[in-house]
Amino acid sequence: MSDRKPIRKVLVANRGEIAVRVMRTCREMGIKTVAVYSDADRGSLHVRFADEAVHIGPPPSRESYLVMDKILGAARATGADAIHPGYGFLSEKAEFARALDTAGITFIGPRAESMDAMGVKTTARKNMADAGVPTVPGSPAPISDENEARAYSDSIGYPVMIKAAAGGGGKGMKKCERSEDFLSMWQSAKREAGSAFGDDRMYIEKFLEKPRHVEIQVFADEYGNTIFLGERECSVQRRQQKVIEESPSCILDDKMRNAMGEVAVRAAKAVRYRGAGTVEFLVDAHRNFYFLEMNTRLQVEHPVTEMCTGLDLVRMQIEVAQGEKLAIAQEQVVRRGHAIEARVYAEDPARNFMPSPGRISYLRVPAGPGIRDDSGVYTGWVVPQFYDPMISKLLAWAPTREYAIERLKRALGEYTVHGITVNLQYLRAVLDHPAFRSGEYDTGFCGKFEKELLVKPDPRYEHVALIAAAVAAYRRDHDAAEASAARAGQTAAPRSNWQRLGRARSLRGSIR
Amino acid sequence: MTTYVALLDGGRREETIDVTPEGPGVYRVEMGGEVHQVDAFRHDYGTVSLLVDTASYSVQLDAGDSEVKAYIRGSAYPLEILDERRLRMRRAAGKFTVEGKQTLTAPMPGKVVKVLVKVGDEVKEGQGLVVIEAMKMENEMKSPKDGKIVELAVVEGQAVEGGAKLAAVE
Repeated sequence: MSDRKPIRKVLVANRGEIAVRVMRTCREMGIKTVAVYSDADRGSLHVRFADEAVHIGPPPSRESYLVMDKILGAARATGADAIHPGYGFLSEKAEFARALDTAGITFIGPRAESMDAMGVKTTARKNMADAGVPTVPGSPAPISDENEARAYSDSIGYPVMIKAAAGGGGKGMKKCERSEDFLSMWQSAKREAGSAFGDDRMYIEKFLEKPRHVEIQVFADEYGNTIFLGERECSVQRRQQKVIEESPSCILDDKMRNAMGEVAVRAAKAVRYRGAGTVEFLVDAHRNFYFLEMNTRLQVEHPVTEMCTGLDLVRMQIEVAQGEKLAIAQEQVVRRGHAIEARVYAEDPARNFMPSPGRISYLRVPAGPGIRDDSGVYTGWVVPQFYDPMISKLLAWAPTREYAIERLKRALGEYTVHGITVNLQYLRAVLDHPAFRSGEYDTGFCGKFEKELLVKPDPRYEHVALIAAAVAAYRRDHDAAEASAARAGQTAAPRSNWQRLGRARSLRGSIR
Repeated sequence: MTTYVALLDGGRREETIDVTPEGPGVYRVEMGGEVHQVDAFRHDYGTVSLLVDTASYSVQLDAGDSEVKAYIRGSAYPLEILDERRLRMRRAAGKFTVEGKQTLTAPMPGKVVKVLVKVGDEVKEGQGLVVIEAMKMENEMKSPKDGKIVELAVVEGQAVEGGAKLAAVE
């Protein structure tokens, strides 16, 4: 039983592509939407997309998207009855869910207690170990002193992962190879964590050799019905940021998938989970799997699961938040074909992946069979320097992995972004790499093949590039020369196009 | 006929291209001793359907003033295209060199989160001097050469524009 009311208006406490993604489903469901935006985002796509929009402050997220009072104020001012947090920002803050409860606004996400249990990663690991779920060795609690953290790392042996206790999405996370590098990496990770989550508590985890990152999508309703919707393989990562995700994973067979799914469901039930969640595992070279963390929100890569299952996870989130029962049972979950997602980042692989904020002077997105582009940008939009560099997620679905790879490659070839530098070439190189093609890759993939993935342009078409550039330059110079000649001769020329047209007509008339 | 010079690999290679118009959108292009019949049909912004003799290419041109990025069949070709006047001006300006004082500039707008050196410090090429945060990631700006820090133009916490001077090494 539930006393929850139907949701009529959703405030999306996020920006960019995910805000647009959530609003799309709301529109399909006949639910009104409210956007929030900082000074840097007045022109952002999600603002234009929403039914209402509320300004919430200056560009830095600490002064806008991370300020609970401002989000709450915007919800009250617009009469929103629910808030969808997207991913990042406030999505995993239990405090925020509590504040909404108090205010009588529905949080489209899990219970605050579940977030507490999973939110601080060290507590989550302990809870899971207690529930009999295997975990990666690491510090049992956050460590405050940097020297103590180094001593701990020295004792368990390098490499280690330095991680933000409140972390997620690769922010505030570093892999440290040597004791000498420890302090500077620790400090840098701590600063990143502080600015991304407003919480800079850090902990240490042992780095497993050749690990694969495989995660299970779970879904639960208010009444404890909990299902899993298959896995996503996310081992193609750079600087702990996922680059390519796919489902199914090449290393899972049905037996292992079901075993991991059952563990994930057990983990979710152990914290009375509700809504969409992801249980992340590391899988070692011997196909043992370890609990890494649970993300108590919608993931960036959720469309991979949507394409394989045909479900709309945002719609399911809203239904569960309204107190509805899950519409499907575990045995009704169907997974078909293969889906791959490529994250399009505003960054320059040739310059050590330097961020490339700036104005998009032209954008054309791919289309055609089996393609989905979840984007938050448009021609003319200035990608701000303050937020994540991801501008879009491009997905391909096909009956087999081989088809899906070819399809995604084809679509990446159609993707056109001018004015800023994006990683499209890099993504194609990943899809083409023999290790990726074979399915035999781990989280070390991007590092190990760093040089091979930086493709040189094909020498066969260089002459075409030169011809095209020269002809374009000729045309530009010629047009410029013509325009200035026209201006110089203006007095002699007819005053207006109307006069010219009239003259042409009378001439033609006389011929007839 | 107009002659253009294309600079490739950041100026390390040059190609000379002669363009002669032969009709609307049709050109005779001579390059490297070969002559091509070229038909350039402009589609929407920056997109050109290019017929080189009989081969058909869809070319994307992301063009600045002289810097151009051409995208063809999955490859990107960054180059600079100059006419004779611009080439003379470029030559007069002198070649890029690592001798003498080198200025480190911010490659993108962001915030200085850490200054790792002081004026007077001896630094090695590739050593991190300043850390800039942009798009929630920290990026270490490295010294362009071995030398001594002669100037620091920023302090921690400062916001910088793309192209802003960060430090000078001599």
